[in-house]
Amino acid sequence: MSVLSNIALGLSVATSYSNLLYCFLGVMVGMLSGVIPGIGPLTAISVLFPLTFYLPPTTAVIMLAGIWYGAGYGGRIAAILLNIPGTPIHAVMCLDGFPLANQGRAGVALLLTTTAAFVGGSIGITLLMLFGPIVADFALRFGAPEYFALMLFGLIIASTISEGSAIKALAMVVLGVMFGCVGIDIYTGTPRFTFGIADNPISLIALAMGIYGVAQVIVSINAMDPTGINMMAVTGTTKPTAEDLRRSALPTLRGAALGAFFGILPGAGTLIASFLSYATEKRLAKEPQRFGKGAVEGIVAPESADNAAEMTGFIPTLTLGIPSSPSMVLMAGALIIQGITPGPALMNQHPDIFWGVVMSFWIGNVILVILNVPFIGIWIRILMIPYRFLYPTVLVFICIGTYITNYTSFDVWTVVFFGVLGYLMMVFRFPAAPALLGFVLGPEMEDFFRRTMLLGNGDVLIFFQRPISCFFMVLVFAMVPLIIWSVVRESRQAAVRHALH
Amino acid sequence: MYSRDYRDIVSGGVLTVFGAWFAWYAITHYGRGTMTNVGDGLFPAALGTILAFLGLAIVLAGLRREGSKFGFRFREPVFVILGVAGFALTIGSFGLVPAIVVLTVLASLADLNVRPLGLAALCLVLCLLVYLIFVVGLKLAIPIAAWPHWE
Repeated sequence: MSVLSNIALGLSVATSYSNLLYCFLGVMVGMLSGVIPGIGPLTAISVLFPLTFYLPPTTAVIMLAGIWYGAGYGGRIAAILLNIPGTPIHAVMCLDGFPLANQGRAGVALLLTTTAAFVGGSIGITLLMLFGPIVADFALRFGAPEYFALMLFGLIIASTISEGSAIKALAMVVLGVMFGCVGIDIYTGTPRFTFGIADNPISLIALAMGIYGVAQVIVSINAMDPTGINMMAVTGTTKPTAEDLRRSALPTLRGAALGAFFGILPGAGTLIASFLSYATEKRLAKEPQRFGKGAVEGIVAPESADNAAEMTGFIPTLTLGIPSSPSMVLMAGALIIQGITPGPALMNQHPDIFWGVVMSFWIGNVILVILNVPFIGIWIRILMIPYRFLYPTVLVFICIGTYITNYTSFDVWTVVFFGVLGYLMMVFRFPAAPALLGFVLGPEMEDFFRRTMLLGNGDVLIFFQRPISCFFMVLVFAMVPLIIWSVVRESRQAAVRHALH
Repeated sequence: MYSRDYRDIVSGGVLTVFGAWFAWYAITHYGRGTMTNVGDGLFPAALGTILAFLGLAIVLAGLRREGSKFGFRFREPVFVILGVAGFALTIGSFGLVPAIVVLTVLASLADLNVRPLGLAALCLVLCLLVYLIFVVGLKLAIPIAAWPHWE
């Protein structure tokens, strides 16, 4: 099938009445989850996840994906107006966004970042459309050893490019894989680590809600004060000067390029992309001293990077079946529940799903621009609702969302357990994303490992005898000295960095 | 500032102990199998061992450097967790409305500016919202309120 007929097929799917409706619902909820600090896209996706049982698979993914990239647009509002990142990805946006708001240029900042988000998103979608089919075609040749090697590589990458210490992230990956072991072993039927409480595996939703949702809410309470928003600064001048536009053009494109690359890598791809693009712009700038005082480059580059990364993150998720972030895990899960496995076969067997979802991203991004330019005032009003009304609402949705996936209070107790764990992880500065990726990929990795061993008659060298798996294994071993080096470097630099915190 | 990074020493130590226990439990309770036919204990045992060593590395790195002060907040985590636990306790036997009220009241106590009237209004709004979305909209079979019946 040619590219054009695929696009036509995708458009016809994406523009159906119900798909348009759920695309709109998704980006609305996504914006909302981004706007309100303490709720991220992951919490919002978890809450709406049970709804996907009643939807066709394409519609389900269109809605969940809308939440995911909608939050990318929403999170910058609180960062610019309140100096509080709406989602962790937008932490870097505070550095120059809030000074701009203080100069009475919040409207300009919001408009420029909306443009940057749209440009970054568009570049990301284009790359997804170009490279998705190529990667899927290539991956058709993958067997158990290749998948094991690729997942191992993915998890190692996820921990090295995660925020903070690489070794702590690696420990969280392993911990996540360990939680994935809980439940009945598929080969022998032995219940592992269940202690007679329940034989079911740990619920993904409950784990995600606890480690992310509840923990985020806990640290956001008593931490924000929306009374400082100056409505005049937002609705006043919104017209960027020619100087602003000239300064934004290249950083937006550079941000998109960086974001597109990091989005493919699993782990905190979007987070790293936005931080790195800020650092890049600061380094490239002729007058780096303007950064931190309201430089427009410092807000457009991370926003563009974030949105490009959100789109290219769908490449590994949809074409390899390897989710690149915790939110992607849930989107892949929504397909799996409906009996459709994301992976190389998806594009051939269900081109309508792949292309329908991808084309809906264009529609979603256009809707988001409309929601963000003429209707920006509504979101600011939502941001001004006192947090003491917002967070109990979030918790109610977290609890009900978890409860109705299986109708058992055991899952809610799981949220309690992982909520405590998630809070402790924040106190001790352990990243949560690697744990979630490990939790999801772990059981699959064990399965692929055992299949490979059967295939190779117990010889571990089989991983090096097949070219593709050998390639990834060599990369894995090449990363080991890199991790050791980063640990040594950390222990030297940590004192300096901790002083800055 | 502390002369050592106690944040990492404590957390690394906990991970080491947990990893070692996990590996020990897997080795003693599940089969190792052969290399061709890998048993159900090998993978968890390997994971536990790896985690124990990673934890040890975190401890060692923490011993070599200074660390910033750290502390727990009590009010926020305790009331939020109590709220979720309260929901878990009540949802099965009392139904939706009591569970939402218990969660909302307990969780709201985490905020320093909680006021009775606002809290009552919030409970009312949330019950109505949930009823409209989940019971009317999605037609889920959750009892709105029920007398307890323990089996």
